[in-house]
Amino acid sequence: MSLSIILTIFVFIIGLQIAVPYLVKRTVIFGVTVPEQFINNDNLKLFKKRYFISMLAISIVIMVAFLVWALESNRNDEQIVIAGTMMQFGVILISLSLYIYFHAKTKQLKKESKWTENLKEVRLTDLSIRSQDEMLSSYVYFLPMIVTLGVICYTIFQYDILPNQIPTHWGPSGEPDAFTKKTPFTAIQLPLFLLIMQIMFLAIHIATKKSGIKLSATNIQASRNRQLGLRKYSSWFTFVVVLLVTMLFSYFQLTMIHSNLFSGMKFLIPFAFLVLVLIGTSVFALKVGRTDKGDPVQVEENITDIDEDRYWKGGLFYFNKNDPSIFVEKRFGVGWTLNMANPIGYFIVLIPLVIILLISFL
Amino acid sequence: MLIRIETESEIPIYTQLTNQIIEGIAKGSLKSGDALPSVRAFAADLGVNMHTVNKSYHELEKKGIIQIVPKSGAVISHYDSIDDSTMNRISDQLRPYIAEALVLGVDKEKLLELVSSLISDIKTK
Repeated sequence: MSLSIILTIFVFIIGLQIAVPYLVKRTVIFGVTVPEQFINNDNLKLFKKRYFISMLAISIVIMVAFLVWALESNRNDEQIVIAGTMMQFGVILISLSLYIYFHAKTKQLKKESKWTENLKEVRLTDLSIRSQDEMLSSYVYFLPMIVTLGVICYTIFQYDILPNQIPTHWGPSGEPDAFTKKTPFTAIQLPLFLLIMQIMFLAIHIATKKSGIKLSATNIQASRNRQLGLRKYSSWFTFVVVLLVTMLFSYFQLTMIHSNLFSGMKFLIPFAFLVLVLIGTSVFALKVGRTDKGDPVQVEENITDIDEDRYWKGGLFYFNKNDPSIFVEKRFGVGWTLNMANPIGYFIVLIPLVIILLISFL
Repeated sequence: MLIRIETESEIPIYTQLTNQIIEGIAKGSLKSGDALPSVRAFAADLGVNMHTVNKSYHELEKKGIIQIVPKSGAVISHYDSIDDSTMNRISDQLRPYIAEALVLGVDKEKLLELVSSLISDIKTK
């Protein structure tokens, strides 16, 4: 079971990591802004291809080695989980190193080729872009929150029939494997965490909605498709994940109250949850990745978009204190990253985590 | 309506915003009663400081072109008649430019021609 879970995660995550150069925004190549006029440069295509082939080869070798190791003699579950986790991290580190290498190469190529010379930097927006935004309404988040409150109320009513040991941790098969003493607080601890998470996701949703819709002056159509697509699909994806987490947590809470509930397919539930989240991630990344691909357009004037490289520290972290956006589109990957110069972002992401950690350890 | 600013221009960004919004109204892309985006959304979409957008909106408000209504934001005003003070202000603003043109040898005829070609350019662009 552990082996199949690890392999599933590995194939999905590494598969997406390998494809990243082909899924990112069209004018950002290995974290370097390239003017629309040059995105089909042969050297850049070669860099992408080299990254792709190296990552693919390395991942296959590591996965085969891991399989041989895991199947040879009888490894126990714990060994497999530890080695599998290390393997994931290892491959992600390799991908990061390759990214840093090609980031430097692209930066050098851009400098040598003097792509931005003689091009006037402009910023562009459409006054009507906000009316075209198709992100989900914030109110939909009330639905899972009401479910959570319902589960909390139900637990309080059923307090007397709860077991004396309240589960606090569940293994990969969905069976609880760590417990704490029953008190009114520990009884509702799990749905309480769920509620905090839902509030955090709602805050992320609102912050994303308020963040900038960045259009490109050199290819308005492609950038509009990309930005509106990213916003729409990420709001759907986040909401689906919140629904799935709500279902999983409610299931854990209900099986604690009534231990013989859903007895038949118990072990399948966490696995189904995992597979659904992974499929959701892939569909999201591919859908957004495809929104702005197409042939480069003829740019009429000698203009280019503002070179945002100056705001990206190491090509990875965005610091722009002039930009009121809390989240901005990622440079290497599909999704969002924090504007590190905006303190609100830290609050949204850190406060719920701190609360959860405090509750767990106090 | 598209707004495009040049970051390295000598004209400050807030003036570029003001000018483009005014041109948009003159051309008819924006009509009286239309709401402009909120300061935060506009600044975020353009990636500029909120103060920049705020400054432009206040300038537009001072000129009587928009009204800043609490909660509904910046709304383009309705103008039916031109009052004397507005007329005087426009006259005062134009005066030095016309004087400059005359000094540099642009005669009255050419100047009138320039004005009318600018008007048709703004209306049709």
